[in-house]
Amino acid sequence: MPQLRKDPVLKQWVIISPERGKRPSDFKRSEVTPDDPHKCPFCEGNEAKTPPETLSFRTSGTLANHKGWWVRVIPDSSPILKPDGDSDREGIGMFDAMNSIGVHEMVIESPNHTTTIQSASIEQVREVIWAYKQRLLEIKKNPRYKHFMIVKNSGEGVSSFTHSHSHIVATPIIPKRIEEELEGAREYYHYHDRCLFCDIIKQETKEQSRLVFENDNFIVYCPFASRFPFEMEITPRFHQSFFEMLENNQVHSFASALQTALRKLEALLPGQPYNFVLHTSPCSDSYRDFYHWHVELIPKLTKIAGFEWGSGFYINPTPPEDAARMLREAKV
Amino acid sequence: MPQLRKDPVTKRWVIILHEQAKSPADFQIPQTPRQSNKCPFCPGHEDMAPPEVMSYRAPDTLPNQPGWEVRVIPNKFPALQIEGDLDRTGIGVYDMMNGVGAHEVIIESPDHEAGFHNYSVEQIYRILRTYTDRYRDLRRDRRFRYILIFKNNGSAAGASLDHPHSQLIATPIIPKRAMEEVEGAKRYYYYKERCVFCDIIRQELSSGERIIHENEQFVAFAPFASRFPFETWIAPKDHKDSFGDIDNSEIEGLAGIMQATLQKLIKTLHNPPFNYVIHTSPCDEHCSDYFHWHIEIMPRLTKVAGFEWGSGFYINPVAPERAARFLINQE
Repeated sequence: MPQLRKDPVLKQWVIISPERGKRPSDFKRSEVTPDDPHKCPFCEGNEAKTPPETLSFRTSGTLANHKGWWVRVIPDSSPILKPDGDSDREGIGMFDAMNSIGVHEMVIESPNHTTTIQSASIEQVREVIWAYKQRLLEIKKNPRYKHFMIVKNSGEGVSSFTHSHSHIVATPIIPKRIEEELEGAREYYHYHDRCLFCDIIKQETKEQSRLVFENDNFIVYCPFASRFPFEMEITPRFHQSFFEMLENNQVHSFASALQTALRKLEALLPGQPYNFVLHTSPCSDSYRDFYHWHVELIPKLTKIAGFEWGSGFYINPTPPEDAARMLREAKV
Repeated sequence: MPQLRKDPVTKRWVIILHEQAKSPADFQIPQTPRQSNKCPFCPGHEDMAPPEVMSYRAPDTLPNQPGWEVRVIPNKFPALQIEGDLDRTGIGVYDMMNGVGAHEVIIESPDHEAGFHNYSVEQIYRILRTYTDRYRDLRRDRRFRYILIFKNNGSAAGASLDHPHSQLIATPIIPKRAMEEVEGAKRYYYYKERCVFCDIIRQELSSGERIIHENEQFVAFAPFASRFPFETWIAPKDHKDSFGDIDNSEIEGLAGIMQATLQKLIKTLHNPPFNYVIHTSPCDEHCSDYFHWHIEIMPRLTKVAGFEWGSGFYINPVAPERAARFLINQE
């Protein structure tokens, strides 16, 4: 069973995963897995190579775990968190630990091995977002989970599979980064009685210099204090704390904002690995007024050096205004 | 002038570089390591680098000439600039200031091929003495609130030059990670009236299962909630908040444990890329009761993916007890 351990100074939880227990020799330079669609467990026709699906959107009349789907969700075959068992919280002297219970699923974004979010039809992207939403609403019924994240690692060196996919992770704790955002947003709300994210959106919409794209319901911009070159944030213009409350027509504008942002990135930096992470409110109504869900999109351009690790203080060689201008002008 | 900007949500400060602004094309050029005969850090090439701030050198040799054993120069491409005022300003919800600070390079040895795999204890002592000399000098500048000393070893760990070196950055703000540590330690102190780090060290020494090495003054161990495989901390057994206050006998003890610990890591993991960062107390904060300086060493073995970025929640595939066992058995 993987274990969750808490850093006594920083209050940061870490997953210690002894089942992946690696020896020193396991870290020799990374091997690249051959890209053979016949062997890819995510390709249509290879459904038997994955754990049974938890959700799929498929042609009526086709059977679960068989061909005929266009979006498919499966449990991760080497999950970092496991849904069974008790959390068994315990203290070991001054240290705190618990079992790493949780949900770790993968969303296979297309039956086709080479389709990406950028190259897919807008309808397909919309279906992927529907799948996120539907799984979140389902997993949320279990009160053990405090928080959900949707994460995508795309490209060489970032992901272990080339077939386009993303992860859904539900955790029994609120991750540190989210805790920090909640604290900052709560403090601002107590002082101003306004949502900090709503104020940022207003200011970005007005100033325009960091704006990349906007539609009826969403804006894409480069954050004022971007940590990384070409970092982008995708946010609903209207105040909404839970991503999973997104409505029908809003799903379409989110799909279009997400796809446009990724296509613009692709146009400027072809083939660049990237990550995106969807931050949504923890499963409690107490954050409803001041938390505002959003997506952080980070191209992996710079090597993170000791300075950044040790200090949490980043050096960004591309001012966000320059990045936004180039992204705005990129034709997609 | 570089700019310091504060993220309004997480309160993290970021340095934005304007002069050396990079465009998409700059990120696609593969980095080739520079050849030794062109290395600006090698003896005889002193004129290729900015004039030195200080050096440990043979008597009768001149500054900016060969004959040095450790040499400090300003970074040629500094992230922060030494001249100027902070000019703090706010624009709507955002806060910013000028990127004022010091950014120096400590050239650890005249030998291009040297490193912690073969440094003598005496050489490590000179390097550490240089760190403390620069630290003490810079903390007198009232503009600076934090002094960060770190090493990037290997290009995967962020080093742009092969010649062994470490860096020092003095900043007008307290970096986020340091602030969190100070706050965490303060909370614990208010609750227990003990230093959290002293308690950790006591517990580690008594359980022993995560200890990697120890001498009279210092202990090296794998932290209970290690974020990275083979993450290692070195801490003084006696309570002291600032790295800038260590005396010569402590520097000797530190040189010894750094040599032993880094050699174990280098042998066990076959010369991995790594970083180390000295965590010390902020310059003008009164945290001498509850902060405890230490060094964090992070071998760069795994790629940090989106999950870690987005959550600040790390996945470590090697339990620290196991890592400690591998290291303690390494000669």
